[in-house]
Amino acid sequence: MSRSTIVGAVEIGTSKVVVLVAEMSGGRSMNIIGRGQSTNLGMKKGEIVNLRSVSDCTHAAILAAERSSGTKIEHVYLSFSGSHLWGFRHAGTTSISSNRGLVRSVDIERAVENAKSRALEPGEVYIHHIRNGFLLDGKPVEDPLSRQGSHLEVLYWHVVADEQKVKDHITVINGFGLDVNDMVVSSLASGSFLATEEEKRQGALVVDIGKGTTDYVLYRGRRAVQTGVIPVGGEHVTNDLGLGLRVKTKLAEGLKRRAAKALVQKEDRTKKAALLGDLSIGDSFHSQLTINKITHARLEELFIILKNQLGSALSRTSLPGGVILTGGVSKTPLIADLAEVTLDVPVSLGQSPDWVRHAELREPEYATVLGLLLNALHDQQSEEKEPQVKAQGHWLRKVAGLFG
Amino acid sequence: MEDKLPEGGLRIKIVGVGGAGTNAVDRIKLENLEQVHLTAVDTDSQVLASSPVDETFLLGRTVTLGKSTGGSSDKGRLAAEADADELRRLLREIDLVFLLAGLGGGTGSGAAPAIAQMAVEEGAVVIAFCALPFQREGATRAARAKSSLEEMERKCHAVITLPNDLVFGQVDASATLMEAFAKADKWIKLGVHSIWSMLFNTGLINVDFSTLRSALSEPGGRTLFGVGYGKGEALVEQALRDLDNCPLLHLAENGFVKDTDQLIVNLTGGPDLTMAMVNEVMDAVSEKFGCRNSLVMGAAIDGSFYNQLRIIVFGTLRKTPLPKKGYAPVPSASIPPNLPPPGTKPATGPGLETRQAPSPPPPPGKRNQREFAFPRQEDNRGVFEKTQRNIYEGADLDIPTYVRRNIRLNRG
Repeated sequence: MSRSTIVGAVEIGTSKVVVLVAEMSGGRSMNIIGRGQSTNLGMKKGEIVNLRSVSDCTHAAILAAERSSGTKIEHVYLSFSGSHLWGFRHAGTTSISSNRGLVRSVDIERAVENAKSRALEPGEVYIHHIRNGFLLDGKPVEDPLSRQGSHLEVLYWHVVADEQKVKDHITVINGFGLDVNDMVVSSLASGSFLATEEEKRQGALVVDIGKGTTDYVLYRGRRAVQTGVIPVGGEHVTNDLGLGLRVKTKLAEGLKRRAAKALVQKEDRTKKAALLGDLSIGDSFHSQLTINKITHARLEELFIILKNQLGSALSRTSLPGGVILTGGVSKTPLIADLAEVTLDVPVSLGQSPDWVRHAELREPEYATVLGLLLNALHDQQSEEKEPQVKAQGHWLRKVAGLFG
Repeated sequence: MEDKLPEGGLRIKIVGVGGAGTNAVDRIKLENLEQVHLTAVDTDSQVLASSPVDETFLLGRTVTLGKSTGGSSDKGRLAAEADADELRRLLREIDLVFLLAGLGGGTGSGAAPAIAQMAVEEGAVVIAFCALPFQREGATRAARAKSSLEEMERKCHAVITLPNDLVFGQVDASATLMEAFAKADKWIKLGVHSIWSMLFNTGLINVDFSTLRSALSEPGGRTLFGVGYGKGEALVEQALRDLDNCPLLHLAENGFVKDTDQLIVNLTGGPDLTMAMVNEVMDAVSEKFGCRNSLVMGAAIDGSFYNQLRIIVFGTLRKTPLPKKGYAPVPSASIPPNLPPPGTKPATGPGLETRQAPSPPPPPGKRNQREFAFPRQEDNRGVFEKTQRNIYEGADLDIPTYVRRNIRLNRG
């Protein structure tokens, strides 16, 4: 029986900072014991514009979470996003060196090294190396060890971030006196949480439309084969509505939540939506048609960009699991219908797995932070089993070393 | 006859020259187009006698004595020159002349260029629809048609050709000769009708006569014209495919692809026309034809066009760009140029990139006045004002989508 660890999952999102505290015992089970959140005022489009303000908001959220759980967080898992993130596919190759042509673990290591060795531009840093399987003499194999062949290729999807922006996030957590155990890009966190094993195997796309960014991850054959960030989110809808209807951003946000729909419908022509909706004096009314037109234009464009970025990967045949929508904006009525029309693949709204019982935690806004916890649990699990072998955490030690 | 034309409105005259032209005009007569005047001009009194058109003019009474030219284009030209005064009177105070002619015969080949010249001199915009002879009709006719076409292209603002061979290719083997010619006339009618409806049906994004006139500001050059129609579920694809097959366009032969100088694209759809459909069409069309100078888009909603879409493409091609061509894109109808702003690095990896916020504002006074209430798009980023630009394929995503797409909003 190993002792339990207290893990904090921190998502510094554009709309709010959410911290969940969970108690994990031996990587086998976890209990969520605390939650803290605060409105984030220092970010735009997933990136920090005011470090001080983000820092204060994050610390407030961590403090609240520690208070509600009655413990101190020991390990922090951090998710982040932003348009500085990008990814590329790069394979590592090697020739089999043994004279009998059997693949040995040295060969695999050499191929992996080769895959990870691509030099980045100065100021960029690798966040994830996601292994997408092996090719032995051009044929996909699950585990090439001890198989016969002459040429080994290991496929990787690499996620790269701006070093300075990663540093900023770590600084925020360090400012609270905590170290960051691992950083996970938001798309992978929410994707691994929402897509079922079957969907990941068949091929599915998880799209997390948050306030500042839209993060997506494409699964195929149980692996994340592509990730991406579009710096457009719910804030853009609000901003469009604010400019289009000439109302203040704050009021536009309320109007969006109450009235905006992703598709224009026939009956919108005659309907009006109240700006405040509280029957107060001075409330103004806006055409439902105009509201929906603005919302529709923005969200449709977002899906078109998504379609352009994914290209042929986004088709009915290559994506039997369909598209899973999550994030705050996925609560917009009719958004799944719009996505289905625009992307031409089946679209569903993300459903939390059954083990999440708390009604509020089942809301789409919590998908990323719950995914982080799940990721932490797997992390603990593998650490428990073999403390040395861990592909993902590795880079961070490197980064941490850089920062001292 | 001119006094019948409404004052102030757009005056359009459709002039059929020669046997084929008269037939086409006869067919158009069956469709009552408003503000359009029909005239049939031929050297053959028999043809004119059987025409239902009100205004007919027997050409070259002194040259051919009321008989046909017998296939001599010189005779045709002489006939037109002999009656120049009378013809000019017919063409006076007309804004737009559609000249319909079958090239290859005597009257069509000879008189049509002369009439075109007169119409241009009288100040009209001249759009000619020329049917080209079947290959089977012989090499002399083909050669005559070719030289006449070249002359037409020099004189008219736009010349839209219809090779009869292509039309013949579209009818099945059992079709009678009558049907085949009827089909050719139908295409010409469709061409005239679609330009007419483009000018008269007020669109959401309107393409009007001024747009057309400025696009066709000078005579000469070759013309690209096509109509596509789609219906039902895959209407956009269908319309684009139909456009490709339009014999008036006859792409392959002309090698117009990617080389148009000015392009007007007009869409007519039902109230259910979506922005996505418009985008799809515009993308496909601008990719297909390319456009060096300007692309003007028009869109009209027709209540009876539910689940239907018609695309009209009208472009000009000039092999040698004229130096003094001062065409400015019409502000209300033109699409903002979609060029990536200077300074963006080529899309690598993410496909999305950001750019430092301050972009040099265009020099004052040099920019055309926009219809939009916002003076510059840069001022329109709302809460994103102070953040980095969010450039994707040349557009700043922080600017509201409805602004970039020119979606008209009904506020209040």
